[in-house]
This record gives sequence, structure tokens and C-alpha cells, in this order.
Amino acid sequence: MTHLESTRTESNDWPWSTVARRFLIERQARHWLQRIDPMLSLGEVRARVVGVRNETPDVKTFLLEPNGHWRGHRAGQHTLVEVTIDGVRHRRPFTIASPPEEDVLALTVKRISGGTVTSYLHEQLSMGDVVGLAQAAGDFVFPATRPERPLFITAGAGITPALAMLGQLAQEGSLNGSTLVHHARDTKSIIARDRLARWAEAGLELHLHTDDQPGPRGFDPDRFISEVPDFAQRHTFLCGPPPMMDVARPLYALCDAEERLHEERFVSPPPPVADGQAVTVTLKRSGRTVTLDGQGSLLEQLERAGEKPKHGCRMGICQTCRCTKAAGVTRDRETGALSTEPEGIRLCVSDARSDLELDL
Amino acid sequence: MNPQNHLTPTELDAFAQELDAIRDRHRADLGDRDKAHIDRIIGIANTSELAGRLFLHFGIDPISFVLGTGALTLAKILENMEIGHNVMHGQYDWTGDPELDSHRYEWDSVSPAEGWRHSHNFEHHTYTNVLGMDRDVGYNLVRVSAEQRWNPAYLVQPISALGLALTFQWGVALHDLKLEELRNGESTPAEVLERAKPLLRKAVWQLAKDYAFYPALAGLNAPRVFLGNMFANIGRNVWAFAVIFCGHFPEGAEVFDRDSLENESRGQWYLRQILGSANIEGSTFMHVMTGHLSHQIEHHLFPAIPAWRYPAMAKEVREICERYELPYNTGTLGAQLKSVAGKILRHALPTKSAKKKAEVAPADATDLPIAAEPATRPALAA
Repeated sequence: MTHLESTRTESNDWPWSTVARRFLIERQARHWLQRIDPMLSLGEVRARVVGVRNETPDVKTFLLEPNGHWRGHRAGQHTLVEVTIDGVRHRRPFTIASPPEEDVLALTVKRISGGTVTSYLHEQLSMGDVVGLAQAAGDFVFPATRPERPLFITAGAGITPALAMLGQLAQEGSLNGSTLVHHARDTKSIIARDRLARWAEAGLELHLHTDDQPGPRGFDPDRFISEVPDFAQRHTFLCGPPPMMDVARPLYALCDAEERLHEERFVSPPPPVADGQAVTVTLKRSGRTVTLDGQGSLLEQLERAGEKPKHGCRMGICQTCRCTKAAGVTRDRETGALSTEPEGIRLCVSDARSDLELDL
Repeated sequence: MNPQNHLTPTELDAFAQELDAIRDRHRADLGDRDKAHIDRIIGIANTSELAGRLFLHFGIDPISFVLGTGALTLAKILENMEIGHNVMHGQYDWTGDPELDSHRYEWDSVSPAEGWRHSHNFEHHTYTNVLGMDRDVGYNLVRVSAEQRWNPAYLVQPISALGLALTFQWGVALHDLKLEELRNGESTPAEVLERAKPLLRKAVWQLAKDYAFYPALAGLNAPRVFLGNMFANIGRNVWAFAVIFCGHFPEGAEVFDRDSLENESRGQWYLRQILGSANIEGSTFMHVMTGHLSHQIEHHLFPAIPAWRYPAMAKEVREICERYELPYNTGTLGAQLKSVAGKILRHALPTKSAKKKAEVAPADATDLPIAAEPATRPALAA
């Protein structure tokens, strides 16, 4: 998971920034810039919504115009979108579905049922609104020497990085020789169907499979091998739900072609554990990994495991032990509320409900 | 009679649960309104600072000097109290806004945020009014209770308290250095110097900002800007001193000894916060200007709940206090200040501690502060 503060670019190399911060001028500048135009900032990337497109019943594409702090992206990379919902800032990673040459970024967002952020984006975000962005990141991109005849295997919303990469090829007029094998639930769930049809006319070899048609459901190795017999010789870009990737990956291992397989991994949340069960905690700063016994607060457990996190009152009031939980689920012992997002937690009144990653 | 003794362990647990319920209800309700409140105050503080500086820099008449200094004072007070103090308590950490992050916020005061968070959020808020543990009791300079051991230096405390009021930000900053440990040999001068480094660094920036950078920027108006900044700092110092001293030292606010911490239950901790704190009554404007420390009782019960909610919480807390027959110390600013001033004057002299009186006249024991009979307190498991 990308670090929480990645939407801020600190310009520490500029000595005036220290002066501006110490003289509390930065604070003022930030305030007035924001007042004048929410797109103005001291380094943070902001973007204005300039278009919203319905792709399928539960997928929308948002067209965003970033401010001058945006440093561009490579086809296949993702960004973090930052929105404030009921007073709380949320950040979520989304793949950029547009090729790098376009001025406007396309973010294709599938609505997750019960998802705070995707529901907000689908229901609330509209033309003219401004969101925060992180600089583009990710290594699911074309290698330095552009592969001839790239192959894309995708499913569902996993098509988005392929859209950016194929879009780039289309702009360069070099779609010939590339292949897309895409899987969707049904015909109306296929994202960017018109564009795919256009690209197929321009030379893309397109294999579309939907579960409502006769034949095997989802990714089927036999069908795949008959459609793309030379797959092992081609640089392959694989993106989709983990079960599908688990089926596709061994094919490349079998042919000893793993170095040509590029995967976009979705970090799936660690499985939840019951109260009092042992968990593994990765401490990001020290690089250590400790096993906690599940008895008492996280602070007590970390101390028993030999760690010495900063702490004070041990009763939830002083915030000294507050640290950023980068991944995993914890429970607030005062309120019983579960914390699933990356956010600050108080170690002395939290317990673990899954394996964790802490900024300690 | 002594309230801490008259609640049974069962009553204390029920009492704690009622207070927890208030906290949980407000925490579950946090959202847009809280964010809008703090954003609005930040907006007012920024506007006020800008206006103040413009008046001071470009005016030449005394009226704009007074207006400019006033606006700058208002800005500094809001920044220190309703914004800085409350943000550094973690009241807005849940927003995920880096500008409102308790561990990153640095306030417009010579006291470095990091050290202040330790001495204030941890020591003062955990060990509130416990002699020898909460160093905020009289700031080691003023004797506000008969339980503090008297020495002749306290004779001048009416004057030293006035000095502290004028220079309060420096008092708070030096307070965090624990200079008294030099005297009793707990720290070496080298250790104190090491401890002082963040303060020295910050003080240089703060002094440079108020007394070099902005005056220099004003050219010929430099002396005027220098003075305006100085008066604004002093105004903020005096106001902060008054608010803080009214929070824990008016008549009736109790101090405790270390024994009260032993096996202290949640209910007893809550009770100590109520008995050791005092509120100030007044207008909404006054509450905001105090950073809602006018609701010191609620702040000590719920230090990490956004402070603008304290007036609403106070109604519920007061009702609970009435039901459990607990004192709820409140009064107007004038009354509380008078009460504190009276204590500062009285305890400059070697007043007898209630504990000693108790030994002489045990019959009066029921009217005495808790410090009188630590042994009789029910020992509850935490």
C-alpha cells in the first residue's frame, strides 16, 4: 500500500520552504490558495472532474484534469484518489485507464457494494469537483524495450491498465500484433466495449469471453492455449481477480516463461482473526516482523514481543502511542469499532483482528 | 463529606459507564460539522493574522496600531487555544487531514510541540492535580494549594505570578525542561542542555519571525511592527495564563497525593478529573477564545473529543454530577480569577495543609480534601 502522505510532495530541498514553514507563512499561503481556487496548491496534486462517463451499470469513468504539480504517468500505472467524505479524508488506489499523452486522466471505477469511497465517487462526485491525487506509481508498465506483440490477459475491472497500454499503442498506430484476452460477467459488463471494437479493426487481436455464453466460465487454460498458442514467447500483462491469476500463472511457470509475465497484484486484505488469536505484525521502520500472542492491547503485546513503542498514559487519552497502521484490521477496545483503512491508531486501546503492518 | 469516599465501587463503575457512553455517542457522531468548525476557526485566525499584519505594516496612526495589534492577538489566541491545543490533543486526527495531525502540528509558541505533548497530554492529563506527578500544579513557581510544601521563595509569588502571566509561553516552554532537576541533582547540566535543544531551535525561529523578519519587512515601520508583535504575544500570554490558572486552581479544585493513583479505577480517574478541574461560564465567543478550556471539566474527561462539543457534553456531565452528588466547580471568569488571585495571595504565606489540620482535629475530617485520608479510599482493580 502506498504511504498515507504520498499526496503531499515535500520540497525540502528548497531552503525557503523551511523558512516559510517556520514563519507560519506556508500555512497562510496554503489557506489562501485553497480559498482562491481549490486547484491551487503548494505541491499537492489536485485534479478537477471534467467529465463522467457510464461504462457499465456499476462502472463509471471519471475524466480528471490535474494541476501543474502532476508529473505524468506511464501506461499501466495507478494513482491514489483523495476525497473528503463526512469530514474524513479517504485515499484509494485506482489504475489510470488513459494513455500518457492525453491531457485528461481517465479513472475507471467499479462500484463496490458497501464501499465508502466508490459509492461516494459514483453518487456524489460531479463535474467541476476537485479531488486530491498522488503521483503515479507502479511497475505494471511496458519494459524499457517495448515488447513486440504484447499479450494482455484481463478480467472485469482488471482491464483498466490494459486500456491505458493499448490506448498508447493505438495512438502510435502499432496495435498490430497485440492480443487482448478479456473476461467479463456478461456482455453489458464489458468496460469500453466500443473502444475495443475500434481497436480490433485497427489490428488488435481480441478474444472476449462472457460467463453468460456457452462454454467455460472465466479464464480457461485450454481455451486460452488454443487461442494464443505462442503465449509463452510473448510479454504478457496479467490483471484480474486473484483466482484467475492463480490459474494463469502456472501456465507460464510450466513453460519457463515467468520472466515475460507481468502481473498487477491487487493487495487483498489479510484474513480476519478472532479476538485473542495470534497475529504477525510487520514493523515498517525497523523492518522487523513480530508475532503477537493476542492477549491484551497491541501495546502490551508489542512490549511482550520485545518492542518498545513510544507510549504514555496506557489508557487511550494522551495519543503518545498513536501510530499509522498501514495495513490490516484493528479494533478500538473503547468503542468496539473496527478499523479497516490505513489510518492512525492508539496502540494502548487497540487489538489486532488480522495480520498488521505498522509504521513503527 | 468527601465525594471520592462516598461512592461505592459499584457506583463508581456505573458512573464511569455513563461517562464512557457520552464519549462514545459523540465519537460516533464525528463528521462534517466538526471539520467545518475547525476549518472556520482556522479561516478566522488566518484572516485575523493577515489583517493584523497589514494594519501594523502599512498604518501610521495609533488607531491602526491598536486594531492591528488586536487582530494579531486574536489570531495568536485562536491559533494557540482552539486550534493548536486541541489539534495537538488529537481531537481532529480522525479527519486524516495532515494539517490537523496531532503528531505533525507545530504551534505559534516557543514551546516545541513534541515536548509539550508529552508534558501536557501525558503527564498533566493522566496525573491531573496529583502532587509530585502533575507538574502543572502551580507550574513549580506558584503555590496554589496548602498541600504544596512552603518555602520562603513563595513569599514573592504575587509578583512572580504576574511575571509568569506576561511571559507565559516562555514559562510553559521552560517548564518542560524540568530545570528543578538541576537543583536536586536528578539531571546534569549537559542533560538539561540536550533537552533544551528543540526549545532553543524553535525559540530562535519564533524570535526571528516576530522581532526580526516581520519588522524588517516593514521597513521604516519596523519599530511599530516590533511593538505590535510584542504586545500581541503578551496579550496572548496573559489570556492563556488566566484561562489555564482558572482551569485547575480556583477554590474548590482539589489536589491529590500519589496514593490516589494506586489501583485507580476508570471511575476514580474520571472522578479525579472532575474534582481537580473548574469551568468558566460565559458567551460562545469566550468559550472559543479559551479553546473551550472554559469547559476544563469536560476537556479532562474527554480530552480527544473536538472541544466545540464540550458545551453540549457539559449538560449531560452536570446532570450526572448532580445525580451522584458530586461538586461541579463553575463560575464566571471574574469570579474564578478572583478566587485564583485570592489563593495565590493566601498561599504565599505558610498556610497549614489540610492534612496537618486533620491530624490535629480528626472530627473535621469529613470536610477535608481527599489528600487527608488516602488510606480509606477503596482500592479497585483497574
